[in-house]
Amino acid sequence: MNVIPQLILNSIIAGSIYSLIAISFSLIYNVTKFFNLAHGVLAIIGGYTVFYFAQILNWNIYIAITFGIVFAGFIGLILDKIIYLPLRRRKASNMILLVASLGIMTALQALLSILFTNEFRTLSRNINEQKIFQLLNGSLTQTQVIIIFVAILITIFIVLLLFKTQFGKAIRAISDDDEVAKIVGINTDKIISYVFFLGSAIAGIAGILMGFDIGIEPTMGLNLLLKGIVAVIIGGIGNVYGSVLGAFVLGFAENFSMWKIAGEWKDAVAFILLIIFLLFKPRGIMNK
Amino acid sequence: MIKKEILLQLKNISVHYGGVKALDGVNLELDEGEIVALMGPNGAGKSTILKVIFGLVPLHSGKILWHQKEITPITYEVVQMGIAFVPQGRRVFSNLTIAENLEIGGFIVDNKKELKRRIEEVLDIFPVLKRKLKLKAGSLSGGEQQMLALARALMIDPKILLLDEPSLGLAPKVVKEVFNKIKEINERHKTTILVVEHNIKSLLDIVHRGYILDKGKIVFQATSNELRQSDILEKVFMGKLA
Repeated sequence: MNVIPQLILNSIIAGSIYSLIAISFSLIYNVTKFFNLAHGVLAIIGGYTVFYFAQILNWNIYIAITFGIVFAGFIGLILDKIIYLPLRRRKASNMILLVASLGIMTALQALLSILFTNEFRTLSRNINEQKIFQLLNGSLTQTQVIIIFVAILITIFIVLLLFKTQFGKAIRAISDDDEVAKIVGINTDKIISYVFFLGSAIAGIAGILMGFDIGIEPTMGLNLLLKGIVAVIIGGIGNVYGSVLGAFVLGFAENFSMWKIAGEWKDAVAFILLIIFLLFKPRGIMNK
Repeated sequence: MIKKEILLQLKNISVHYGGVKALDGVNLELDEGEIVALMGPNGAGKSTILKVIFGLVPLHSGKILWHQKEITPITYEVVQMGIAFVPQGRRVFSNLTIAENLEIGGFIVDNKKELKRRIEEVLDIFPVLKRKLKLKAGSLSGGEQQMLALARALMIDPKILLLDEPSLGLAPKVVKEVFNKIKEINERHKTTILVVEHNIKSLLDIVHRGYILDKGKIVFQATSNELRQSDILEKVFMGKLA
C-alpha cells in the first residue's frame, strides 16, 4: 500500500492546526513582543468549554462551539487587562511578561485538571459515525476536512484584516513601532486588548478542532504552543504568510519522518528542525 | 494689531527623570500660526518639552493649558485635539508602504473620503512621495523618510506640529528642502509649529521667535531677528552663560 498520499493528508491536517496556533500566537507576539506561554492553554480552554456545554450540559453543539470560541477570546482579553497591561504600564521587561505567562499557563492548566481531571476527552459524541472522505488515495474524516477549511478561512480572514482594514494596519503599525503608533493617535492598549481577544479566540478554535479530531487533555496546550512557536520561527517571526508556511513545513517534516522512524520521535523532529533553522536561517524562510 | 489666539501654554512645568530634573519651571506659549524654535545644548530638555506636551513623559508639576483650559495629556487624546508630533530619527513605519503610513497617520479620521482627500492634499505638498506610494517606507532615503514623517503628521490637519530635530542626519541640501517644507506647511495651513533643532543658522531663517533652554530652564526668548543679533546662543552653546 502506498502510504505517501495518507502522509500528505496527515501533514496538511497537522499543518492546518499548527497554522491556527502560529497565526494567533504571532498576532499577539507582534504587538507585545513577548512569548505568551499561556496561549496554548487558551486553545485547550476553548476545547473544554465546548466539552462542558455540549457534553455535560447537553447544549446544542453549535451554540457550545460559539461559546467556546468567545470564552477563549474573553479569557485572553481578561488576562491582558488584569495582568499583562499593568505589567506593560510598569515597563516590565519581556522576560517578566514571559515569566508571568508561564505562571498563568501553570495555574490555568492546574484549574483544568481540577475541573475535568487529566483524562483524555473527545468532543465528538459519535466518533464512529463520522463521514470518511477519500482523497488522493488517502482518507480524511469529516472533522479533518473542516480543520483544513477553517484554517484556510482564518488565514484569509487574518490577511484581509491586516492588509485591508484600518484596524489591521494599526496592528501592523504597533508591531513596527509601538511608540510611533501612539504618536499617530492609536490607542495602543485598546488595540492590543482586541488582539488578545482575537488571537485567543483563534487559539480556542484550534483547541476545539483538536478536541473533535483527536481529543484534548489539560497539559497538551504547551506542546501545541511550542509547535506554533516552531512554525513561527521557521516561517519568519512577524510574517503571517511565514507563520502559515512554517506550520505546513513542520506538519510535513513531522509526518514524513514518522514514515521511517517511530512516532514518539515526532516532537524531537520538530525541535531538531527548529535548531537547524536557528543555526542556519534564524530569520526564517520569509524574512530577508 | 490683532492679538493672535494662544493655543497652548506651559506654566511652570517641571519634569524629573529619576532624581534628575530634566525641566525646571518652564513657561512657554504657542500662538496661532507661528513657527517657534526651541534651542539649546544637548541635554537642555528640548525634546522633553515636546514629549511632555504629547503625554509621552509624565509631568512632575506645573500646568498645560490648551485654549486656556488645563489638560492632562494622554497621547491619543492629544492627537484628537489637533497636535501632531514628528519624533527624532525619521521614525516611519518601515514595514508599511508609504500609502499605509499616510493612512495610519490619519487613523483618527473616520471618514474614508476625507482620508483620501487628506492623502491627496498631503501628497500635493510632498510630490516626491506620490510616485512611491506602494514602496515600503524602509526602502526610502533618509530625506524621503523625513518627508514621509512630516506628511504622516499632516494627515490629521494639525493645529500644532511638534518637530524634534527634523534635520538630524540629513545632507545639507536635504535639510534646506525639509526647512522649506516646514515653512510651506506653516504658510499654507497656518499651522503652528514648535521645532527643536541644532541646526540654528538654517532654522532662524524660517522661525518667528525662539526659546533658548539650558539645564532644563528657559534662559532667553526673543524674535528670530533679535536672536540673530544676540550673542546668547553662542554663550549657551559654549557653556559661557553666567
